[in-house]
Amino acid sequence: MENKSKPKKSETSIIVQMGIFAVILFVSYLISSLFPKNFPVPAPVVGLIILYLLLTFKIIKPEQIEKLSNFLIGILAFLFVPSGIQLAASLDIMKQSGVQLVIMIIISTVVMLVSVALVATFLIWLRNKIFGKKDELK
Amino acid sequence: MQAELLKFLGTPMFGIALSLVVYLIGDFLFKKTHGFFLFQPLFVSMVLGIFILWLIAKSTNINITWIYTNLYKPGGDIIFWFLYPATIAFAIPLFKRNDIVKKYWLEIVLSLIIGLGISVVIMYFVSKLIGLNQAAIASMLPQAATTAVAMPIAQGIHGIPAITAMACILNAVIIYAIGDWLIKIFRLKNPIGIGLGLGTAGHTLGSAKALELGPIEGSMAAISVVIISIVVDIVVPLFANLVHL
Repeated sequence: MENKSKPKKSETSIIVQMGIFAVILFVSYLISSLFPKNFPVPAPVVGLIILYLLLTFKIIKPEQIEKLSNFLIGILAFLFVPSGIQLAASLDIMKQSGVQLVIMIIISTVVMLVSVALVATFLIWLRNKIFGKKDELK
Repeated sequence: MQAELLKFLGTPMFGIALSLVVYLIGDFLFKKTHGFFLFQPLFVSMVLGIFILWLIAKSTNINITWIYTNLYKPGGDIIFWFLYPATIAFAIPLFKRNDIVKKYWLEIVLSLIIGLGISVVIMYFVSKLIGLNQAAIASMLPQAATTAVAMPIAQGIHGIPAITAMACILNAVIIYAIGDWLIKIFRLKNPIGIGLGLGTAGHTLGSAKALELGPIEGSMAAISVVIISIVVDIVVPLFANLVHL
């Protein structure tokens, strides 16, 4: 009697989605605190790996957390506002050699973007050369 | 004076309201000007927010760091906290293009290691050229990682963590504002490369940008945020040792 084109999938309630996130965050804090001080692995990064593994081993389905995830990713630029305003506390540093630092940071940003992107492009080109097939990315 | 200010503005509500209002103003300007890049909402809210705090500091004759810490930070921290679950949320776009991760994992890891190595060397020499001092150079090197990784590493190689934090934040703001323009100028075409580059240079916010460009870019940016932090953990202290920072 299963009708494949069900009009609406039963959606996981937002409270359950928050619960899943909360548990993952809590566990990742515990794991993150196990790393030594000179080799920090922050909790959100641990959490990303945990959630990725849970999805890969099909313990959690994407639908079960998708709504909250899309919401959080959608407001990410806003979530960065406090980090930006945090620079108010660094105005003293800026007074000393601020222009140099900002120029250097802009250069660094461009350098990181371009060098990683070009190395990746080269390696994928190399792979296609060696294995002799050209597969289109879709 | 400080006590009165604290009484009126010292609740987290002030920081939250200020963040929302400046962001909405930025959003409004951005839409009115049909996306003029200087009116990018995040950039506007950052400048406007700092300006308002500076005004309060000037008019009350109190140090701006005190104003920031006591008036803005309580509310700002609440919003900031949501970056943690938001970072975790990137596991979904990553998982959705698991086919690419499985196929290209070696290329992904290698490009991040080699790409970061090249970046660190270039950053080191350009900083020297510009004339930054030792501590400032050391603060520049770990900026590819997220703030939580970059700051302790900067500390470890005798840098100034506050400068590193500033670098990480500005990375994200710059990539979010002009990322697509940079991609066009440098003629970056490969979606895997673009994704990895945006994630490395722009951190979590770079991943949001990448996700706007496409699912492959988004998933690659998400994986680069994870791997690059670990690569920075290893490569940057080694390099700093090598050049005796």
